[in-house]
Amino acid sequence: MFSFLGRRVNFEMNLCCFQRNFSAALPSLVPVSLPSKMETHLWYVLPDEVKSETLLNQYLEILSPYEKESIYRKHGHQLKKSALLARALVRATIARYQTNFQINPRSLKFRKNIYGKPEVDWQNDDDWCPPPLHFNISHTSSLVACGVTVDVPIGIDVEEKQRRIKNNILAFAKRYFSHEELQLLASIADPEIQHQEFIKLWTLKVGQEAYVKALGRGFSAAPFKTFTIWTRVETKVDFQHFEALDSEASEIVVESSDDPENLTNNWKFALLDLAGSHYAAICVEKDNSIGGETNAPMSLAVWKTIPFVEDERVSGTGAVVAIGGSVKQF
Amino acid sequence: MASVAGTTSLCMTSMSCSLKHTQGRISSVNSVSLPINGKSFPSLRSRSAPRFRVSCVAKPETVKKVCDIVKKQLALPEDSTVTGESKFAALGADSLDTVEIVMGLEEEFGISVEEESAQSILTVQDAAELIEKLMEKNA
Repeated sequence: MFSFLGRRVNFEMNLCCFQRNFSAALPSLVPVSLPSKMETHLWYVLPDEVKSETLLNQYLEILSPYEKESIYRKHGHQLKKSALLARALVRATIARYQTNFQINPRSLKFRKNIYGKPEVDWQNDDDWCPPPLHFNISHTSSLVACGVTVDVPIGIDVEEKQRRIKNNILAFAKRYFSHEELQLLASIADPEIQHQEFIKLWTLKVGQEAYVKALGRGFSAAPFKTFTIWTRVETKVDFQHFEALDSEASEIVVESSDDPENLTNNWKFALLDLAGSHYAAICVEKDNSIGGETNAPMSLAVWKTIPFVEDERVSGTGAVVAIGGSVKQF
Repeated sequence: MASVAGTTSLCMTSMSCSLKHTQGRISSVNSVSLPINGKSFPSLRSRSAPRFRVSCVAKPETVKKVCDIVKKQLALPEDSTVTGESKFAALGADSLDTVEIVMGLEEEFGISVEEESAQSILTVQDAAELIEKLMEKNA
């Protein structure tokens, strides 16, 4: 338990004591190469794996006063912990992407764009060109994730697969999803599968919204209702024997009832089953440039991490299963 | 209409007048400013002083109902402190929770909440005020 987080009056005092007694600094960050323009990196932390109170205190040390305050305000230990890990993850991760020199994760500054999306506020020194990094964080109380790209905006969302919906799913879909999506959900007889599909759809929509916010655009008044997210599955057919081979190439597409041309062709999605417990949606810009392969799969590398302590590359393992969209893990 | 949230609630309109004292709950905020007629009085530095804020006040019953719905949606323990000032984000409500809470409020109060209005709800108080506004419209 965080001893300091429960008592505001003692907050500053405990922090001072901590600084006085604390001898070992956080280990240095192990640098990581920037993703290439076509790649997406995903880092995640499982809060249950971070048990050391000392380590959690160390994470607190690298945050800004504003971030600390915001964490303090959360109700309950689990919320505080996952919020803390989210900030520690984003700071540590961004700081690692410097291959030429070290960035102190504590020195990073953040701001929000007009749609409320957080971005790095690089402090400009004259001779230094900041990396064109984009990031987005999402977390639940049991998983904290950070997606990173270069040059193109990224939006992600993670949701617990088992998350319970209090309202009737179809009533919810009628209210918030598009007509086509409602029909799709209504056509599913098995309530467990219907629940699963609902969560997947919700995750995709929230991930997409995060992406659109990253573009610096907001949605219109009823965002979710005007977009339908379809999974278009390409089934390879063996024409000689007239049987379907594995239908692995699926593409997630977005159809807008409002605005058919403008935004909707610009992004590509992936939907993952992450760590066995979560759905994760990733939304990045398509490369529509001349010579770019617009329908190339999303090239994705995934690490499970404990910031400053360890990483484990888990792309291509059972921890990361692509269940929607065209994904190539590396 | 002015109200003072925190330790006392003073409502100076003809619509509803409730004077509520909460004994013994003084939050340890170290500054006090009381805007009256648009003028701000200088801050008084004090370690334990009541905290005042001007806002439109919703009926306590409405606030309580919202708190109950929120506690239920977020599966918070009965004794957890959810008040008018509680921010949804701080309580751990993510976007899905917020949407579900809005649906719960619509059902409870027989109202219909527009998407734009829903996005402006940050605290329990905001929700209660919006509810009363919408209920007034229905009446």
